[in-house]
Amino acid sequence: MKEINCTGKRCPLPIIEASKAIKEMKGGESLVLISDDPATRIDLPAWSRMTGNDSHQIAENRYSITKKATN
Amino acid sequence: MKNFLAEAPLAPSARDVLLDAFDQGWHDPQKLTQGASKARALRQNSLESIAAGLGVHPTEIEVLGEPSLGHFLTIQGFIQPTSTIFYSSVDKKEIQAIARAWQSAVELPVDSSGQINPDALREAKADDLFALQGANAETGVVQNLGKLTERFLSQSKNGSICLDFTAVGCHQSLPATWDGAIFDSRSWRGPQGLGIVAIKNGSKWRNPLPHINSVKTPQSFSLPLLISSAVALESWTSDAERLRGLSRRLRDGIRSGISDCDIAGELEGSLPHVNSFSFLYVEGEELLRSLEKRGFLVDSGSACTAEDLQPSHVLAAMGILTHGNVRVTIHTETTEADIEELIGALVQSVEELRKQ
Repeated sequence: MKEINCTGKRCPLPIIEASKAIKEMKGGESLVLISDDPATRIDLPAWSRMTGNDSHQIAENRYSITKKATN
Repeated sequence: MKNFLAEAPLAPSARDVLLDAFDQGWHDPQKLTQGASKARALRQNSLESIAAGLGVHPTEIEVLGEPSLGHFLTIQGFIQPTSTIFYSSVDKKEIQAIARAWQSAVELPVDSSGQINPDALREAKADDLFALQGANAETGVVQNLGKLTERFLSQSKNGSICLDFTAVGCHQSLPATWDGAIFDSRSWRGPQGLGIVAIKNGSKWRNPLPHINSVKTPQSFSLPLLISSAVALESWTSDAERLRGLSRRLRDGIRSGISDCDIAGELEGSLPHVNSFSFLYVEGEELLRSLEKRGFLVDSGSACTAEDLQPSHVLAAMGILTHGNVRVTIHTETTEADIEELIGALVQSVEELRKQ
């Protein structure tokens, strides 16, 4: 699975980089975002709510993101 | 510069009286001179005026030279050895610090609109304390004080209710039942550096600070600031409907002009002049600078603008996007044209920053 390492990057860069990466993916495909910015834990669910893509935390500083299925 | 910061200049009448008050009110009211007698009269008149403006009895008012001490004095003065402190996830950090340092505390969550669910108080029992925020300074969200105080007292017959009215000021009346309340003079365009505490007569409050005589609080406040604050409160008039109209236009303009924006709280359940917007993919600090270059001053709750680089605990508790945040406070002087210009500046700034 594709990984994006945003360790050391502050808000909103981890969300921007994840968003750019997911644009290149197909619906239903997933990636792992690595981020130690405390804002990511809060902002990723908000980003999911706003964009319709799925995300959840899988470990400390690691998040799984799945692109929403397209019709 | 157009001011949309939380702070605003003193009310003109309060500013005019301040310098005169330093000339007239420098005597120590405790002494026996004629000047002291005049200072006592000025102090008493000011206390009576502030009490009338806040809807409390003059003997219930205490004034503090250190505003943030008020949270400690009110909460600690009511707490009993067996008490649990109920507080919320959107309370000020000073209040959260007091609660977390106490032996037993329950943090109440809020929903996505920033409201506390009264059912969360079901575990409250006798002698517990409820630290309840009237409105949130970051989002403007107003709590349903009637329902929350009623539910708390149905569970906690001898419980105490300490209200944080620092953001509310005169925009809302105190609820029917309360024991202690703290106000900030700045909320009615009075001077900073003055805390106003109300302690209900007949309540079980005890001065938690070491003391020898019977004074309730240190009395170390500036009399000129108190006089100025009283004058500001006397001249404060509610223009809530006009402010709410401007806020509505601002929110509508941003919703239609900028995609991917989180707005904290519903306007109808909020203070009429406080608005919080979070823009996806935008850095808060850059947005502040971009707006300042265009002639607009706003606040931000984004982590990149905070001293500790932590995201806003208020936005986090509501599940609102914490980056790209700006807080827009509308003042009495703000015009419709100012709002239109601000909408235009926000649209341009967000668009530019997203392209970078």
